[in-house]
Amino acid sequence: MKFKKLILTSLLLFFAGIIAHAQTLQVAVAANLQSVIKVLEADFKKKTGIEIQPIIGSSGNLVNQIKNGAPFDVFLSADISFPEALYKAGFSMDEPVVYTWGNLIVCSEQKIDLKNWPNLLQKGKVKKIAIANPAIAPYGKAAEEALIKTGIMNSVKPKLVYGESIAQVNTYISTGVVTVGFTSQSFIKDADPNTKLYWAPVDASLYTAIQQGMVILKHGKENNFDQAQKFYKYILSPSAKAIFTEYGYHVQ
Amino acid sequence: MDWSPIWLTLRLAAITTAILLVIGLPVAYWLSKGRSIFKIVIEAIITMPLVLPPSVLGFYLLIAFSPQHGLGLWLQQHFNIQFVFSFQGLVLASVIYSMPFMIGPIKSALQQLPISLSQASYTLGKTELQTFIKVLLPNMRASLLTAIVLTFAHTLGEFGVVLMIGGNIPNVTRVASIAIYDSVENMDYATANSYSLLLFAITFVIVIAVFVFNKRAAKSPLE
Repeated sequence: MKFKKLILTSLLLFFAGIIAHAQTLQVAVAANLQSVIKVLEADFKKKTGIEIQPIIGSSGNLVNQIKNGAPFDVFLSADISFPEALYKAGFSMDEPVVYTWGNLIVCSEQKIDLKNWPNLLQKGKVKKIAIANPAIAPYGKAAEEALIKTGIMNSVKPKLVYGESIAQVNTYISTGVVTVGFTSQSFIKDADPNTKLYWAPVDASLYTAIQQGMVILKHGKENNFDQAQKFYKYILSPSAKAIFTEYGYHVQ
Repeated sequence: MDWSPIWLTLRLAAITTAILLVIGLPVAYWLSKGRSIFKIVIEAIITMPLVLPPSVLGFYLLIAFSPQHGLGLWLQQHFNIQFVFSFQGLVLASVIYSMPFMIGPIKSALQQLPISLSQASYTLGKTELQTFIKVLLPNMRASLLTAIVLTFAHTLGEFGVVLMIGGNIPNVTRVASIAIYDSVENMDYATANSYSLLLFAITFVIVIAVFVFNKRAAKSPLE
């Protein structure tokens, strides 16, 4: 008798789980958004009552998962080429739309003046420099471009350390294991208030603009279209734009 | 194909195994003799990496070796050694991570040897060290080999710790497991496949070798 009850309860819980799962929107989120997504998530829930489940990773990593059947509904990328590739491969019905432009900064936990960073990075007191893996993380690619354009790539190459996403670069910066790191400006807003960070923007002429693109994925279209569409519209709405601006992105 | 991750991995595994052999023999001998609370605690700590998630180890090593404070700062100032993002750091992490694979088999082999062996040796006037090297070790060759091979193989497979403290630097910390992860993320499945096949083959040969050797050694009258 007891056993029957147990089975019944677990079955109930199982189905409840499925239903609960159907109600939350699975959003694949580029790692540079890891802080701002929490604010967007709360604001979106307040406005629509819909809960989202962010899955955070480097854009390349997420694309790989999506191509291999991950059940994500919407994808917020750190660039435009990854969502474009998904669209071309048929994992999304519509072309991606740019929802924000990212800013690259150079950042340190140590009290150093980063204004003239191309000069500073070559000095002996800068031991290690973190950038995100350029092949899978758009901010890493932008950092690599900036290092090449300033002509210091060859001299700083031995100091480079590669994070698997911008989030790992942020960890390396805030734990102080690297002297400086290249990251997204949104990191400053979210960093632990106890760690004082020193930073300087990387001049926008040194890297290709980081256009962050969004698509509704095939899985979202087939399973969660209504909610996915609401979220899509919300991300392009003035209230989401205000939040992006506050976190150091620029929007048009 | 870029062979550097493979060489790096083999070098890491060989160095780790050599270090662990030197540390492992005396520690296993000490653990095999008698019991005390202290010994149990030490043995537990040595065995823990078997079950502890590698990320726990990676996290603490990252914090401990940050050149900004504490131990990491001290090492940096006095010896100019940086353990994060360096090959030495990976060696240190692997030594901790693979320790149970070296010490476990040696310790249990020592405990299973008949006590009369060492007693006979002492009666004939040999010291403890002589007995250990000339009598005990030759009688547990199979277990010793198992320990060495398992330690080597386990270090080949290290991933989580390296991901956290390695920094994916070519020729320094980009070991084969990381190179595989990296090429999968890159959707470069061909490269991922060549590295994976190679690791698969190496591991297969190693494990087969252990089985074959153990089976032959089992025929020895002392087993």
